[in-house]
Amino acid sequence: MSMLTSIGTRKGLFLLRGDEERRDWKLEGPLLTGWEVFHALLDPRDGALYACTNSFVYGPTVHRSADLGATWTRAEELGLPGDGEATLEKTWHVEPGRPDEPGRLWLGGAPGVLFRSDDSGESWEAVQGVLQHPTREQWQPGAGGMCCHSIQLAPDASERMYIGISAAGVFRTEDGGESWTPANKGTAADFQPDNFPEVGQCVHKLLLHPERPDRLWQQNHCGVYRSDDRGESWERLEGNGLPSGFGFPLALHPRDPDRAYVVPEVDAENRVTSDGRLGVYTTRDAGASWELSSRGLPEQAWAAVMREGFAFDRLDPFGLYLGTQSGSVFVSADEGENWQEAASQLPPILSVEVAEWQ
Amino acid sequence: MAVVLLPAILAAEAGGKNRFDLDARTVGEALQSLPIADRLFDERGELRRLVNVYVDGVDVRDRGGLGCPLDGVETVRLVGAIAGG
Repeated sequence: MSMLTSIGTRKGLFLLRGDEERRDWKLEGPLLTGWEVFHALLDPRDGALYACTNSFVYGPTVHRSADLGATWTRAEELGLPGDGEATLEKTWHVEPGRPDEPGRLWLGGAPGVLFRSDDSGESWEAVQGVLQHPTREQWQPGAGGMCCHSIQLAPDASERMYIGISAAGVFRTEDGGESWTPANKGTAADFQPDNFPEVGQCVHKLLLHPERPDRLWQQNHCGVYRSDDRGESWERLEGNGLPSGFGFPLALHPRDPDRAYVVPEVDAENRVTSDGRLGVYTTRDAGASWELSSRGLPEQAWAAVMREGFAFDRLDPFGLYLGTQSGSVFVSADEGENWQEAASQLPPILSVEVAEWQ
Repeated sequence: MAVVLLPAILAAEAGGKNRFDLDARTVGEALQSLPIADRLFDERGELRRLVNVYVDGVDVRDRGGLGCPLDGVETVRLVGAIAGG
């Protein structure tokens, strides 16, 4: 078994190849030169690589490679319907469909849009239930645009999925994407006159626990939250060891639903890692308490980790992968206890994903 | 017949080909026939704001826009706006 880590950067895509030990890595790239790669991953169903690629001149698209990056094809049909005013601004996150849905993928983008493909990314159709959502007028763009950056499929209910849009909030569908219910109760929007609106929250990253799919975690502009009821209600979790509730990335233990990992930043106005160091904070008790995990990470650092810049594998012990805006990739092969720099001096890192692949 | 020249990022998208000999009624029609037309035009059919088109060295905006006749044109050069970091 080999490990393939895909690193999306401001200036192309890099790959790190290693083995199960996750100690020695071979860097490949840059691929897709000239493109900003907001997110890239290997589809575990067929080994295809997908990349959300954006150019400030030539626009947003999605690239696919069936040969691990040697050659690429570009989406043939991708855009918003012709009867509206808006055009697609950015592609942010690609999510493979379920194992029994070959060829299906989901794509999140700006302005607050979700697409579905049923032909392995050749053509994409905008999901009308998101595009025409009755609360859309209350959505606002965050600093990165109004991005749909999180897409989570419930493994135990074939029609249930979740999306996170900044700054619109979390939405859940129970009918495969036809209709979407806001799922923001208890999450704050401190930047609005009403601090707890139905929608408008600035979710930064949303993850569902694969072994306990009713449990969701989110790193929000205004705190770290957990929901145990499919997003019906949320509990705010910071304090008690966490230096700040502000941050972007989020990772989970692949088997223990009580363990989560965040990388706090000072606050919204000073977006660098807390306490002048790069620190991962871990909870082992569902967010009741947090502790610093930093052995091997820089003790002096004013770094930033983007919302897609944190990934975890499924091995035992499982590994964590962290990419910084300063161009370093740090890997822990022992569940966050010890960290090692696997690559450095890359362009600013926008995303990190990892897959097991032959 | 005019020669259309592509920048490197678009040539990579066109299978490595940076030069196309095209025959069309207008500059716009020639660009629409390129395999990378979706990178030049958005889903409304509008030329992306930061794509510059030079027709024999003159900005196509100063030659009547994309409706500029291709007849008599030797070279159409595509250039991304100078910006970014």
